[in-house]
Amino acid sequence: MSALADPTRRRVFERLKDGPHAVAEIARGLPVSRPAVSQHLKVLKEAGLVADRPEGTRRVYYIDPQGLGALRKWLDQFWDDALAAFQAEAERSAKDTQGRTDER
Amino acid sequence: MTQTQTITIAPVRKTIHVKASAAHAFEVFTAGLDRWWPKDHGIGKTPRKAVHMETRVGGRWYELAEDGTQTDIGRIVTWEPPRRFVMSWDINSQWKPDTTVGSEVEVRFIAEGENATRVELEHRKFEQMGAEGGAKMRSDVNGGWPKLLEIFREKAESA
Repeated sequence: MSALADPTRRRVFERLKDGPHAVAEIARGLPVSRPAVSQHLKVLKEAGLVADRPEGTRRVYYIDPQGLGALRKWLDQFWDDALAAFQAEAERSAKDTQGRTDER
Repeated sequence: MTQTQTITIAPVRKTIHVKASAAHAFEVFTAGLDRWWPKDHGIGKTPRKAVHMETRVGGRWYELAEDGTQTDIGRIVTWEPPRRFVMSWDINSQWKPDTTVGSEVEVRFIAEGENATRVELEHRKFEQMGAEGGAKMRSDVNGGWPKLLEIFREKAESA
């Protein structure tokens, strides 16, 4: 599934970049009905891109940083692990070199 | 062109201190890639035989499978030994080689003494992998990757 393939859905998503909004606010200025906006939000929510929460009597939608940042989160851990392995090897081999000769 | 490009995701930034000269650290990181790159992690065909970096501008970071298949992970775009290099990371959010997407990895080696080097890594431009990729990745992360990460951690800690 490509949740952002639809241009209107992308615009709905873009509307949330500056912070949480209710459906009515998102629909304002878009050439689609509120139910249509709700439908787009539902798809975005299922894709993990958007989350919602109640705020007073209404429901606001916001960009889910975990959905968009899941890749980043994985790579964060990935590089931690890779660099730890690099550090171990660099220091082990440096010690070998220093043991034989004093570089410089 | 697409509006998704205006979405930005913060780069991953890492710093480690290595008890080795900058030249040595650079050498191990690049030409010595296969000596330390976590064995259990791969994008390409398995079983993997080796992972190599061609140490020049335009050079590839690629995996070599035991059956001879090569899988490109990225390409060197800046090559300034022993201070830094930048490579494209040509892996899309489905963990498949794809040169049409492009996040970027920069690694800097800063000498802090004769045998002390600060290594700074920055992986950036994730937004170029596409926002829908982030969502796909989420389901992947909830699936098979945590187990793989555990294996990496064991490897790293036993090294």
